[in-house]
Amino acid sequence: MDIIISDDVLDDDAEAVITVWFVNAGEQIMKGALMVEIMAAKVQYEMLAPASGILNIVAGVDAVVRKGDIIGSIQAG
Amino acid sequence: MNDTNPRRLTIARAMAEAVQQEMQQDPKVFVMGEDIGALGGVFGNTRGLLEEFGSERIRDTPISETAFIGAGVGAAQDGMRPIVELMFVDFFGVCFDAIYNNMAKNNYFSGGNVKVPMVIMTSTGGGYSDGGQHSQCLYGTFAHLPGMKVVAPSNAYDAKGLMTAAIRDDSPVIFMYHKGLQGMGWLGTEAGATVDTPEASYEIEIGKAKVVREGTDVTIVGLAMGVHNGLRAADQLAARGVSAEVIDLRSLVPLDRDTVINSVRKTGRLIVVDEDYQSYGVSGEIITSVVEHDYSILRAAPKRVAYPDVPIPFARPMEQFCLPNAEKIVAAYDAM
Repeated sequence: MDIIISDDVLDDDAEAVITVWFVNAGEQIMKGALMVEIMAAKVQYEMLAPASGILNIVAGVDAVVRKGDIIGSIQAG
Repeated sequence: MNDTNPRRLTIARAMAEAVQQEMQQDPKVFVMGEDIGALGGVFGNTRGLLEEFGSERIRDTPISETAFIGAGVGAAQDGMRPIVELMFVDFFGVCFDAIYNNMAKNNYFSGGNVKVPMVIMTSTGGGYSDGGQHSQCLYGTFAHLPGMKVVAPSNAYDAKGLMTAAIRDDSPVIFMYHKGLQGMGWLGTEAGATVDTPEASYEIEIGKAKVVREGTDVTIVGLAMGVHNGLRAADQLAARGVSAEVIDLRSLVPLDRDTVINSVRKTGRLIVVDEDYQSYGVSGEIITSVVEHDYSILRAAPKRVAYPDVPIPFARPMEQFCLPNAEKIVAAYDAM
């Protein structure tokens, strides 16, 4: 399952920076766990894991992201 | 949360969790400061607290450190356990009478009849071009004055345990957190500060340093950001076959001199890393602790990698030139 920056996190034209992945790539994550923080205009937003599985990270710390971007994925397993 | 996930937290979250758990246990604990309510603290360390505890116990203040630090001292002497945020340590000038003449000394002045169980949490450090009045560490300034404990964690695990210990301590504690370790994007990101942190409450004893990397050839002593620079320098030295031991002081008052002395007895060489100004500060105190004890354990003159005695520049190339870093630590070793 892709991890996507969704509507309720960022406005249409906002840019954000990934500040922390709380789980390393290749590690197991459980649905609903604190997964990543992103920051836009000095405000931090948290995203929880949308599924359980092994985390794959596409956009690492300091990457600039926008709404709709795929920042990683979770592979069931 | 569940058992299978690693529980990695930023220092900001670890501080907020320690405060939250102590507030759940003890109705006397409350928080005051600028933007610590709805915003959750400009450095993220009070996020979620207003929603759980309400505005009686999570109190946003006006921009008047003189008033609200003084109010904290009064509340503490009256039986409460306030946690008061001084947003930038650089702002201490307007509230220092309350801090060092009242908070730090009233226990002594009263012959022990009055306790001041108060925590001041305050941000330190630079590296992100915020100018000379938002970037200082001032560790030595606070650690110099008797009557207050002073802590400065380098990672989330220590931050949670030290904050819990600070809140429970009957003495006033200055909790100095480095902005570059908070996990806030605009302040720079030090990945090594975000570590596994247990959910259950625990204390880390104030006044105990920690050997965070063992070595035999040189002792690198640091605190907060200096620990991470020391670890990077140790990696570079290891690539050349030099074995560096790295000590995280964690507390400045009380100061764990024994851990430093025992390490230098083994390595014979000492480098102190300090982002505070070089003169009259932490680096001189650490070196003196060893030399006063037994100068014969040193095989080379000790070195320090500290901030030069100048106002912190705003311009990025100038500020970066002044800051301690791993390359400067390696160069200090090479000069020994």
